[in-house]
Amino acid sequence: MRLGIDFKGGCCVGALLVALVPRLACAALGEPESSISGDVQHLKGSIKSTLRTNYRVHEIQLPSGTVLREFAAAGGNVFAVAWSGPAIPDLRQALGRYFDAYVTSAQAKQGGHRHLRIEQSEFVMQSSGHMRAFSGRAYLPQALPPGTSVDEIR
Amino acid sequence: MRNVAGMMAAGLIGVSSLSFVSCGGGGSSASVAPAPAPSNVVSVVVDGGPNNNSVNTVFTTVTVCVPGSTTNCQTIDHVQVDTGSNGLRLLAPVLTLSLPVTMATDGNSLVECTQFVDGYSWGPIALADIQVGEETASSVPIQVIGSSTFAVDPNCSNKGTAEDTVAAFGANGILGIGVFEQDCGPFCAPSTTVDNSANGFYYSCTTASVCVGTTVALNSQVLNPVRLFATDNDGSILDLPGVAAPGTTTLTGSLIFGIDTQSNNSSGSETILGVDLIYGDFTTVFNAQTLSRSFLDSGTNGIFFDDSNLTQCPPPAISTDPSFLGFYCPASAQSLTATLTGTNNTSIPETFTVDNAQTLVTDHPTFSVLPTLAGTWSGAANAATSDTFDWGLPFYYGRRVFTAIENQRTAVGTGPYVAF
Repeated sequence: MRLGIDFKGGCCVGALLVALVPRLACAALGEPESSISGDVQHLKGSIKSTLRTNYRVHEIQLPSGTVLREFAAAGGNVFAVAWSGPAIPDLRQALGRYFDAYVTSAQAKQGGHRHLRIEQSEFVMQSSGHMRAFSGRAYLPQALPPGTSVDEIR
Repeated sequence: MRNVAGMMAAGLIGVSSLSFVSCGGGGSSASVAPAPAPSNVVSVVVDGGPNNNSVNTVFTTVTVCVPGSTTNCQTIDHVQVDTGSNGLRLLAPVLTLSLPVTMATDGNSLVECTQFVDGYSWGPIALADIQVGEETASSVPIQVIGSSTFAVDPNCSNKGTAEDTVAAFGANGILGIGVFEQDCGPFCAPSTTVDNSANGFYYSCTTASVCVGTTVALNSQVLNPVRLFATDNDGSILDLPGVAAPGTTTLTGSLIFGIDTQSNNSSGSETILGVDLIYGDFTTVFNAQTLSRSFLDSGTNGIFFDDSNLTQCPPPAISTDPSFLGFYCPASAQSLTATLTGTNNTSIPETFTVDNAQTLVTDHPTFSVLPTLAGTWSGAANAATSDTFDWGLPFYYGRRVFTAIENQRTAVGTGPYVAF
């Protein structure tokens, strides 16, 4: 698929490869958009990107059938990730350095197996779903590009 | 468990040759008169669960046996009844039986990474004969969660935190009796057009716990046990009494197997909502939003939806205090209305009440039944970002809720559908 927008870094290139290791590998939350090239050989799926007013959305179709969207400020860092589909994505990869905060908070659950809500000053995560149908998002509220609503992260 | 591969093989062969015996109940049954239909009712209870901290969680008791055996069995209480998943899963620390682990197509052991939003449950697929009330099913693939036989594959642990203990899981097991026959379905099955091996659920693991993603034939996946009952196998009815707000300590009801198979499970007076074949969802219209990924779910402990007009509970003042984050905390009880519409275009309005979660729990610490407990689905400030309305266990109070399994024909339609 030819897309009008070319973006630097290896995420796009890597997505076009069919690698042997079925593991998501793209830029993690809080990491530079350009940091992804080292991981791309692990990626197995397809990707497209769209430019919005203040950021780019990299939409990755994972082998599990889940769609993972990574939101990156132009020339900056990944400030949000969102997912939807039959399986939860590799959150260690998607959340990066925030994965441990997720694990710690999830252990103190109160919403049962279907709902998770984490709200910290620099990290917010919402995850919900049932078997065969999961969705969620995580973002860095202090890193949102100006004029960006959290409701755009989905 | 030194020789898992050998055990597996022996187990599978044993099951296939012994299943006749367990069905016939022994070799001297020729002169026995035809047995009456089994009772299709089993008692369920909403209580605090094995950790005495559950709310709006419904449990039943399940007996599992080594395939073909009528004596090598174990009865396990406080197995959660879940219409939002499919298949029986038992916690390894509770299960004292040694059940035969099934094989992946490459001959290694079949292990599953079951995903929940708050973590994952890792463990092998094993075969068991199942008894729920008087209903029985032979050689059912179930998951044994938290078995130490196989180390957790990193691709699974990367989903989050392990839920492999009773304390973490909140139950001794989970009985998934939703609208689907398998837990994963076509997505995890072999396909001639796509490679489904990286489905994220099923893995083939060596005895050294070297695991690779694998496809699994539909009938070898973890299966909805209702579908495998000898009779009353087209669906179920969860029948719970009504509860006045603010709630009560415990609640006892019934789980009735089958739809239109016996006099106590006939359909006809209910509203039928068809659900889609991929997610098992229908549409809810609420606050002028059309939420096309809505569902009924006895495994959700409240009503979860997004409404920017409702006050959400604040974070705890002290970090060690109980957190009600994600639940609603209105100043007073709010009565709301939504409309549920099935894929069959049948609609029915539903009025429900949302009260202050923090007050409900704090003022009634002994209550396990809280019919007005509700929370946000996505947590979004603007409900327009959501597409889901999750009708959890409070919806089930005071009703008979039918769950018809896919491809099964009842007197009033073909599953998958829900009706109430």
